[in-house]
Amino acid sequence: MPTLKIDGREITVKDGTRVIEAADALGIPIPRFCYHPGLPVAANCRMCLVETNRAPKPVPSCHDFCGDGMEVQTATEKVIEARRAVLEYILLNHPVDCPTCDQAGECDLQDQYFEYDHKPSRHAFRKAHKPKARAIGPRVVYDAERCINCTRCVRFCEDIAGAPQLRQIQRGEKAYIDVFPGTELDNPYSMCAADVCPVGALTVRDFRFKCRVWFMKGTQSVCGECSRGCSVRVDTYKNEVQRIVPRHNPNVNQYWACDAGRTAFHSFDEGRLEAARVRGRDTDFDQALDQFAHDLEEALGKGLTPAVILSPFMTCEDAFAAISLFKTKAPGAVYSIGGREDGEADEVLIRADRNPNRAGLKMILDSFGIETAPIKTLHEAAHPVVIAFGYEFEERNYAKMAVQAAQLSAVFASMDVIGDVETYAFPAVSPYETYGTWVNEFGVIQRVRPAVKAPEAAKQARRFIADLAERLGAPLGDASLVGIFGLMTEEIEEFKGLELDAVGPFGIKLWEDAADVEAETDAGGDEAEPEEAAKESGESNKTDSAEEA
Amino acid sequence: MDLTFLLMTLLKIVLICFVFAMILGAILTWGERKLSAVVQDRIGPNRASILGVTALGLMHPIADMLKAFTKEDFVPAGANRFLFAMAPMLAMVPPLVVFAVVPFGPGPDFVIAPLDTGVLFIFAIGGMGIYGATLGGWSSNNSFALLGSLRAAAQMISYEVSMGLNLVGIFMIFGTVSLSNIVLGQGQLLWGWLPMWGIVVQPVAFILFMTASMAENKRAPFDLPEGESEILGYNLEYSSMRFALFFLSEFVEIVVIAAMAATLFFGGWQIPWVDPQGTAGGWITVGQVAAFVGKVVFLCWVQLIIRWTLPRFRYDQVMALGWKYLLPLSLLNIVATAVVLAML
Amino acid sequence: MGKLVDRPEPDVMIQSYLPEVWNGMKRVSKHFFANLLMKKGYVTIQYPEQKIDYAPRFRGNHRLMHREDGTVRCVACFLCSTACPADCISIVAGETDNRDVEKAPVKFEIDHLRCIFCGFCEEACPCDAIRLDSGEHRVPAFTRKDEMSGKEDLLSRGGPSISKQGGEFK
Ligand code: SF4
Ligand code: SF4
Ligand code: SF4
Ligand code: SF4
Ligand code: FES
Repeated sequence: MPTLKIDGREITVKDGTRVIEAADALGIPIPRFCYHPGLPVAANCRMCLVETNRAPKPVPSCHDFCGDGMEVQTATEKVIEARRAVLEYILLNHPVDCPTCDQAGECDLQDQYFEYDHKPSRHAFRKAHKPKARAIGPRVVYDAERCINCTRCVRFCEDIAGAPQLRQIQRGEKAYIDVFPGTELDNPYSMCAADVCPVGALTVRDFRFKCRVWFMKGTQSVCGECSRGCSVRVDTYKNEVQRIVPRHNPNVNQYWACDAGRTAFHSFDEGRLEAARVRGRDTDFDQALDQFAHDLEEALGKGLTPAVILSPFMTCEDAFAAISLFKTKAPGAVYSIGGREDGEADEVLIRADRNPNRAGLKMILDSFGIETAPIKTLHEAAHPVVIAFGYEFEERNYAKMAVQAAQLSAVFASMDVIGDVETYAFPAVSPYETYGTWVNEFGVIQRVRPAVKAPEAAKQARRFIADLAERLGAPLGDASLVGIFGLMTEEIEEFKGLELDAVGPFGIKLWEDAADVEAETDAGGDEAEPEEAAKESGESNKTDSAEEA
Repeated sequence: MDLTFLLMTLLKIVLICFVFAMILGAILTWGERKLSAVVQDRIGPNRASILGVTALGLMHPIADMLKAFTKEDFVPAGANRFLFAMAPMLAMVPPLVVFAVVPFGPGPDFVIAPLDTGVLFIFAIGGMGIYGATLGGWSSNNSFALLGSLRAAAQMISYEVSMGLNLVGIFMIFGTVSLSNIVLGQGQLLWGWLPMWGIVVQPVAFILFMTASMAENKRAPFDLPEGESEILGYNLEYSSMRFALFFLSEFVEIVVIAAMAATLFFGGWQIPWVDPQGTAGGWITVGQVAAFVGKVVFLCWVQLIIRWTLPRFRYDQVMALGWKYLLPLSLLNIVATAVVLAML
Repeated sequence: MGKLVDRPEPDVMIQSYLPEVWNGMKRVSKHFFANLLMKKGYVTIQYPEQKIDYAPRFRGNHRLMHREDGTVRCVACFLCSTACPADCISIVAGETDNRDVEKAPVKFEIDHLRCIFCGFCEEACPCDAIRLDSGEHRVPAFTRKDEMSGKEDLLSRGGPSISKQGGEFK
């Protein structure tokens, strides 16, 4: 446990901590390009030079370990001059494409140029020309002129994605990054390579020229593509999702997210259910609900038991509200969990269960003591009344069959995929328009926040349930997020003592199990404070408690 | 009643009410804009033309008329349609009727109805003008218009009082309320050389009368009932020709005020030292009629100049001026006149 | 604290209104007769027929400048719309065949109803693509749509720019 001094401030760190990490912990800024807390150290850019009492000349702080009694100076004249010189050197052949560069606005090179160099170029010769705008993969485009050869992308593919697809070729001013001949940068995490790129050399094709980064508003949310539930930031502009980027969360995804999750938002915009429908006819939401409540009451009066298909895309609050209602109004109801079919899992992040909140749903059902019926055989029982929730119906054929078999059915969904087989269809919000919490496969509860405004007709499930409950004469009381979360903390074992506002950007681990060991590796000494992470991803969580006026 | 008399009366009505008063009123709408422009170093209306003839912008009243006729005739929802339609007429008719007793020249031929009760008739009819403004505001079913009409009613009633009292001095001096006789009385000479015009013997009454009658006419600086630029007035909901009637009635009233002031204070058709009995006939009579018209035009001009000189009063100032200053002053004027008359 | 201004107590003459009204009428009549008889004082310009010269500082409407080959110089960097205080420039960026710049505006629209002609867009532009020096007035239009200047419209007013693009030392 060495104790060292950085700029006169003392800190004690774990063995094997790098100087730059200790400085980060103290909040002392050290500029960097090639160092990334989630990647192995390469120390090739030399931007992070600092002076220490251990060496006669500046050393790269991202590489050198902390030693006992070390004294580090990060802002001496020599250091600053060294940074300026390094920057000038990096910028020597840089095209300064900023007007057309997608990175502009979040470019480390820009920031540090303004911070440390801020001088016109002295390079009066022809700049080195290299390949520009090359699509080196299906989702990533590469500009060799902008590349500063920090090799973050190479290290990411090799060490994190487990797919060594990139390499550095040529040398000196001609050096650039390329794929191996005849291959592409097509691993399922390739967009993260563009994220780690400190400049605009690797950019995301999906986001190319779509929006300038400074226009966008970031919302901290959770990816719903698999049961890992990666923390993400949803960047929006003019009420449209522009891109999704991973957000650091040592409990869940470190710094990464898979390409599928980051492009999933496109599919949530298409084929929305636009208005409530009664037997195929568009109807006013409230009117449809009136009719449905009436029909449901009649069916219940006849002693029919409904089957409730819950969606693992529902937030815990939505599911809790639904189960509470049917528990009182239809005690004999059969419950089942729909959702998307399992896929392939991999070693990095992607899990087989392609639904974000199955764990949360199970937890709630358990606390009510409810056994679920398997979805695959639900339609065989031919339940006369089926109520199905879901954001995602593209593969819900089993749910569809159950709905088809019913005499009275209601579907509450954001997408209009189930067709006209149901009696009632109600438009729901998409996961990008939802308030609530999801619990991932490893028991981490995280908050989902709306990045965009829902279409006018669409409702959040718990509002729908509350309205239905009122019409059925069993009001839920406070149907706000905070209200239902409060109820859950009383009813559910795992939620005891939890507070909504305590669920920060990293989420909270509700239980420990064997599966998390893997997720816990390599958080390093760099875990930023939650507040810091919150700051970095925008101001979006301010509005949470005041949600839904 | 013989036919010639009837025809003559009709002819006089047409000549005086429609040719003289209405046309002068219409020209005044142009005159007001032109005058305001000229005193503000601008050119003013000069664009409307018929076949390229602009006549200094005199085509504008015609263009305005056409515009008023072709605009949508809007009646607000919930308005009392009957009264809404009546109000502009009620505003327009009294000022025209007043001309019945105004002598345009010597003798009974130059007046439509030579009533002995002349001035009293004028007050009786003039008082009707309040109805136009009040009903217009009330029937529009608009609270701003209603407030405007309340302001109008209060202001007009207040000033009616002192306006009437102002003239008592004149009655006392000339011993008559017949306008023709008052004009004849003003033909006398004071000390053998000074025409005994109302303004000479009753200067205070003249100023008070002009003030009160401008307030009665709701014109700047007393234009609070309308407040066209900001506070909105009783005619807020009016459009098209109905609005134009309100608008025009104001200008006809200017002519009325000018005609009354000319008759009562400027010797009517009298040309000083020339034919005070009005019996000469021939060119002298023509000159006398012209003198009357000239005096009317001059007094109209004075009213316009006043309008473009003075800013608007505050409403409490308007009321204070009416009740606290004008009324006592006109009473004082009566007493003083009585004392002087008694002493002579 | 504001400055206290002495309010002179109005004397009887002022409070009686009459002399002041008389003075005012005198002044107004003076203008009336002076202008009526000598016609000198008018300051009115008969606008559409008669125009005054604009100050040399007058800039006028926006225009978009051309490259040598006539394509738009704008690279859709959005700096103008970022700088614009009136939020009136809407750009949609897209790819272009010109591999030197890659990016070009697919749509470039200025909402002249919102524009305050501050010139910030011109100042922000790194490419000398947008300029506010067409010397043309904004013409009034009958519909809101006519007040939107599209890319073609802006380009039609533009001309070639002599400044080098790309920063290349050739
Ligand atoms: S990488 Fe950064 S400095 Fe280089 S062109 Fe892009 S924004 Fe500009
Ligand atoms: S592409 Fe980006 S991350 Fe990769 S070496 Fe170049 S600058 Fe670094
Ligand atoms: S002149 Fe000013 S307001 Fe108009 S487009 Fe340019 S920046 Fe915007
Ligand atoms: S600043 Fe210039 S180059 Fe950039 S978008 Fe505006 S006009 Fe185009
Ligand atoms: S960050 Fe330390 S050498 Fe690049």
